Amino acid sequence: MALKRSFASYLRLVAVFARFSLTREMAFRGNFVMKVLLELVWLGILLVFYRTLFRGVDSIAGWDSASFLFFLGCYYTLEGVVETLFLENFVEFSDLVRTGNLDLHLLKPIDEQFLLSIRLIDWSTVPKLFIGSGMMGVAVFQMGHPVSGWTLALFAALFVAGVSMAYSFLLILSSTAIWMVRNQSLMELWWLFSTLMRYPRDIYDVAWAWPVRMVFTFVLPALLVVSVPAEIVGKAILDPWWICWMLVSAIISLSGSRRIFIGSIASYRSASS
Amino acid sequence: MSSNIGSLAMDSSLSVRLVKSLTKYFNIFKVSLVERLAYRADFLLGTFLRLLPLVTTLLLWKAVYANKDEISGYTYRQVVAYLLLVHVSRMFSSMPGLASGIARDVRDGNLKRYLVQPLDLISYLLAYRMAHKVAYIITSIPLYSVIFFLCRDFFDAPPDPCWFCLYATALLMSFILGFAFEASLGMLGFWFLEISSFLYLVNTVNFFVSGHFLPLDLLDPWVAGILKVLPMQFMAYFPAALIMGKAGDWNDVVWGLGIEAAWCLGFLAMARGAYALGLRRYGGYGG
Repeated sequence: MALKRSFASYLRLVAVFARFSLTREMAFRGNFVMKVLLELVWLGILLVFYRTLFRGVDSIAGWDSASFLFFLGCYYTLEGVVETLFLENFVEFSDLVRTGNLDLHLLKPIDEQFLLSIRLIDWSTVPKLFIGSGMMGVAVFQMGHPVSGWTLALFAALFVAGVSMAYSFLLILSSTAIWMVRNQSLMELWWLFSTLMRYPRDIYDVAWAWPVRMVFTFVLPALLVVSVPAEIVGKAILDPWWICWMLVSAIISLSGSRRIFIGSIASYRSASS
Repeated sequence: MSSNIGSLAMDSSLSVRLVKSLTKYFNIFKVSLVERLAYRADFLLGTFLRLLPLVTTLLLWKAVYANKDEISGYTYRQVVAYLLLVHVSRMFSSMPGLASGIARDVRDGNLKRYLVQPLDLISYLLAYRMAHKVAYIITSIPLYSVIFFLCRDFFDAPPDPCWFCLYATALLMSFILGFAFEASLGMLGFWFLEISSFLYLVNTVNFFVSGHFLPLDLLDPWVAGILKVLPMQFMAYFPAALIMGKAGDWNDVVWGLGIEAAWCLGFLAMARGAYALGLRRYGGYGG
């Protein structure tokens, strides 16, 4: 019962954070419009790139035009979720450490990880969720074969697992801000992580890229984040081994990143003292 | 006789002033170079990370060319060579933080320090950026040498030495163009309070239209035609295409360099004009 009440109060807090963030965004409407425009430009670039890739060929690494569009839609949506809910918070985290303002957040009667992960919601990236979902819908229509409810449920579960893995990676990166106050290059690691997610993992089936594929599949599983959920619908591949490994990776990532976060908070010494 | 002595004295005072001015900006260059090299480890890590996405891009293109020898006049080898060469172009033309720095100085009132000292903002920033570029190129040479050596099979035989001179000219002008383009954008700070989102938008568009993402020739012909009229192509595509022999014959290349020079002068004039106009409305609050 207490757990249920606690869960409800956390949900209420998310709603309050969302309302507060929207109010903040609306104070600078011009900036908000510009940010939305930027996301649309990125989408345009992504689609022109996609179209250019398929100008001369029918398929790329076993992905035909429609299934590749599904992959891109899945990537775009997942990136949208991470950017809407978490990215801004983690970018600001190192500033909180550097300025000592983290003290104020640690004193609040609430789970620190929850507060620091989700207190700022970026509304300008919300359109990405709809556009990405739309791209997936168009792709399914182009593929011409129906997708069962069971497949969709599995896709949704793996998509959540992918978001969890990306979130965990961001949390680990941000936690290091406590030990290394200047973590500008570490944020570039996030960019690297998202670059690895951007293309299907099948392109790594090249002899010299084998070590890259192994590292980013089993050590830091960035290659699975979008590929495994997208393969379920885009290529109708239901490989139990990969599905299990993806779910296990998500659980390990979440628990491991939580431990690292708690460890880093324990060694926080406040910049103001 | 006395007028000759007078003009000689004027000449010598002019040359002394010129030497003093050049020494001043050379000292700015030296200090900036030392400052930049102090963070060389962070610098190398950053460069290394920027190259990792290149690996994924190369793998993607390998997959694209799996069943095809040539697309829009480019073989797989040529696309890889282009993507490597375009890194060299961007090494010269990219100016991270220049426009936002100018706009921030205007907003915060810190621009005053250029006005109260015998310093010209644009010349100062040019000297500062030259130092950054020299430091960046020096620290990147070992890494790029290894990469270009490992990828040597993707390149055709070295062209005539004259083409290297044209290539070097195109790269140096891409530095000036990149600087003048960013400086012009930064001057918008005189008219608008916050331009960071706009700058991010322009940089994103520039990333694509300059040909950093892929050779412009691979796009639909009408899109490529439009993009090749814009000045951004000189910041990435043109130098790479030139050294690969994809920018046409000798006449086409010289004509292209002429257009690039014109864009450089145009944007430098725009930056200077916008700065002069901006100073008229500058209040110098804060700071």
